[in-house]
Amino acid sequence: MIKIEKRNDVPMALYFFTPFIAIILTILGGGIIFYILGFNPIEALKFYFITPISNLYGFSELLLKATPLCLIAIGLSFCFKSNNWNIGAEGQLTFGAIVGGGVALLFYNQEGFYILPLVILAGAIGGMIFALIPAILKTYFNTNEILVSLMLVYVSKLILDYLVVGPWSNPEGFNFPETRQFSDSSRMPLLFEGLRIHAGIFLALAAVMLSWFILYKTYLGFQIKVSGLSLKTAKYAGFKGKTMILVVFMISGACAGLAGVGEITGPIGQLHRMISPDYGFTAIIVAFLGRLNPFGIIFASLVVALTYLGAETAQIFLQIPKYTGQVFQGMILFFLLASDYLLFFKVKILSLKKNELRH
Amino acid sequence: MATDLRISNISKIYPGCIANDNVSLQFKSGKIYALLGENGAGKSTLVKILSGVISPDNGEVFLNEKNLKLSSPLDAKKNKIGMVFQHFNLFETLSVFENLSIDATEDNKSLRLRINEIFKKYNFSIDLDVPVLNLSAGQKQKVEIIRCLLRSPKVLIMDEPTSVLTEQETEELFISLKKFCDEGILIIYITHKLKEVLSLCDEVAVMRKGKVVSVSQTQNEKVETLANKMVGQKLAKIKKKINISKNKDEIFKVKHLNFYSDDPFETNLVNLNFSVKKGECLGIAGISGNGQNELFQILSGEIITPNTSIIFRNKEIAKLNPKQRREYLMAFSPEDRISQAAVPELKIYENVALNNFKASNFFEKGLVNERKIKDHSKKILSDFSVNTDNVELKSQFLSGGNLQKLILGRELITAPELLICYNPTWGLDVGAINYIHETLIKINDQEKSTILISTDTEELLKLSDRIAVIYKGKLSKIMSSEEVTPEKLGVLMGGGSID
Repeated sequence: MIKIEKRNDVPMALYFFTPFIAIILTILGGGIIFYILGFNPIEALKFYFITPISNLYGFSELLLKATPLCLIAIGLSFCFKSNNWNIGAEGQLTFGAIVGGGVALLFYNQEGFYILPLVILAGAIGGMIFALIPAILKTYFNTNEILVSLMLVYVSKLILDYLVVGPWSNPEGFNFPETRQFSDSSRMPLLFEGLRIHAGIFLALAAVMLSWFILYKTYLGFQIKVSGLSLKTAKYAGFKGKTMILVVFMISGACAGLAGVGEITGPIGQLHRMISPDYGFTAIIVAFLGRLNPFGIIFASLVVALTYLGAETAQIFLQIPKYTGQVFQGMILFFLLASDYLLFFKVKILSLKKNELRH
Repeated sequence: MATDLRISNISKIYPGCIANDNVSLQFKSGKIYALLGENGAGKSTLVKILSGVISPDNGEVFLNEKNLKLSSPLDAKKNKIGMVFQHFNLFETLSVFENLSIDATEDNKSLRLRINEIFKKYNFSIDLDVPVLNLSAGQKQKVEIIRCLLRSPKVLIMDEPTSVLTEQETEELFISLKKFCDEGILIIYITHKLKEVLSLCDEVAVMRKGKVVSVSQTQNEKVETLANKMVGQKLAKIKKKINISKNKDEIFKVKHLNFYSDDPFETNLVNLNFSVKKGECLGIAGISGNGQNELFQILSGEIITPNTSIIFRNKEIAKLNPKQRREYLMAFSPEDRISQAAVPELKIYENVALNNFKASNFFEKGLVNERKIKDHSKKILSDFSVNTDNVELKSQFLSGGNLQKLILGRELITAPELLICYNPTWGLDVGAINYIHETLIKINDQEKSTILISTDTEELLKLSDRIAVIYKGKLSKIMSSEEVTPEKLGVLMGGGSID
């Protein structure tokens, strides 16, 4: 018979160490998969985790991919910490990109220092508005935010589809499903000549600092913490539950919207169908791998960004589909949840004789 | 056949605490044995060992001189040791019969027959086909007892069986237990209620800090002698002098309090009207589950009900949330210490910050003023003699008594005009209970008012100036506590009337 007991005291140090265990297990698991597929596991893992960042360009790509992941995960940590399960960041990212992109398209033939801030602001507001839909439905109509936020992802993607093939498509674009190129004033400044890494990374870093401050130093952060641990206590203390739900969703949506606008004004430069390789979903893994801690999230976003890059390298050198990236992301989440389970619960195996079973 | 249960040199050590220290006891059938002790005295550990839930580090259990290996609850069942826990292990939505047939080995027809025999023999009557959630606590307990009787036990262990029963149900239980005893079932009765020991049991073993400190015949004992053995020190007797203050102002007034819920596990409240005077303690008695939860939440502002009028210090507060009500100098101590009044994972000072009233300045302009919260917490810890001075300690490491002192301290340090508390001493040991009772009396002495919702009649009689009983969401008339007796309360709590 197996008995599962809750552990009374989990050491903090171990709590922050288990993500590393999960990463090590993921690498081992990846090695096994490569071996089964007939590759030399050491070599394959080298292609996956070392080659992509062995030169400056690769490192810049790593930061480029980590930027949206970090931004979105920071926003999600507000929701998750307060027991609000927003899993629609991908939709908020898309809608943020639509609104931000719309503003950029308004200025497609103009230049001016004020354009980029406007585009960025519009993106954040777009994401915020889109996140408010599940939040309002949850607070006033008792709907489940998991379902609503998830379903809205597809809504936003269809709106984007409609816009890029229809009203917003490039008149000189030979009917390709894409908009005009944004003007240079709508583009994120590049940090280095020849590399794609852009100023959006400062937005992510600012979000990290700001979220740390809000979560640990303000009344709002305290309310989020208490609500996440016990909704009953939050109610008893008289926190304004509805307002808080709206606020955390707005923060989360704004961050996702910023990530979206960072992509289209950064590496992409226009709107088209594929503006995000599911950053909004992957950021959920990033948030948990980083323990919903702002600085943990920086680290986690780098690790998970590497799985994106590794998948691309593996596709080139090993001729395996780039969806192995998702296999690795899935393994990280799986091993993290598994080690968390063992961290919080003791599993006891009790011996049981046969005749007792029959009784 | 006579049964002889012997516990020999049982020890169980948990990290940082010796739960059972070399315990040896002997029980013979034909008598009812009491196992008496405060919370944390080691009673529960001993009972869990006897019922196979945990294994001792040392020592043995003999039943009729046969050495028992009790490594799981199944072993206890096999050896005919039956156990009725304080919290019922029943499936609320299944019928009584379904609950009883879950671990039965025979077919339904013969099971029904045997259950009916037990009913006849002991004068029980419960409808076998209603869902358990429709039963009263006393009936649920009977279902648990029947479940044990179906296995024809040699030993029956009752863990705090009367904590949820009315006086009448308690009497019925005692009659049944005496019958079982006459039939040769060995009964071990675990309690911390002294009077029950005296009226029911033949022999009493007192445990303190994991050790058996005394075994004696109950006829040689009195409430005071047992209490002293249990606590290990002379108890200061506290009795409140009743505030006969007819001319005092009413500071809190509730009118037309109605609450309706679709949830079958919630109780509807029907037209409650009452008021509290300055410096008075209004007690609300009742068996748990008669609407106390809902009442507390409405009074604290967690639930807002339409058309209710709550006047506090001449202001209408019925629409305000708990935080806003605190600003008007109300304070609340809910029943659930562990997951409502405080969060175990939070540090002491963070739990203190939950009572964030305007004058506290815990959060100035939305920012955490950690220094201020910590200073305030330190004051609470020392003023309310919580046994730590480390405000960074996580609350989960405080004992129940210390946690309750912290919560009361947090609520009271703001000098509220009205404190509403719900089962403030639930599950605490005598020392902590005394401290909390003294604190509650002190509040009234300072002309502050309290509403005490409690399922402990003794506590209510000790602390209240006036008492009302809540039964199925309705409030009885409010009586002066001088005209109230435990018997009267018992009748009202069981749904009877006294006029």
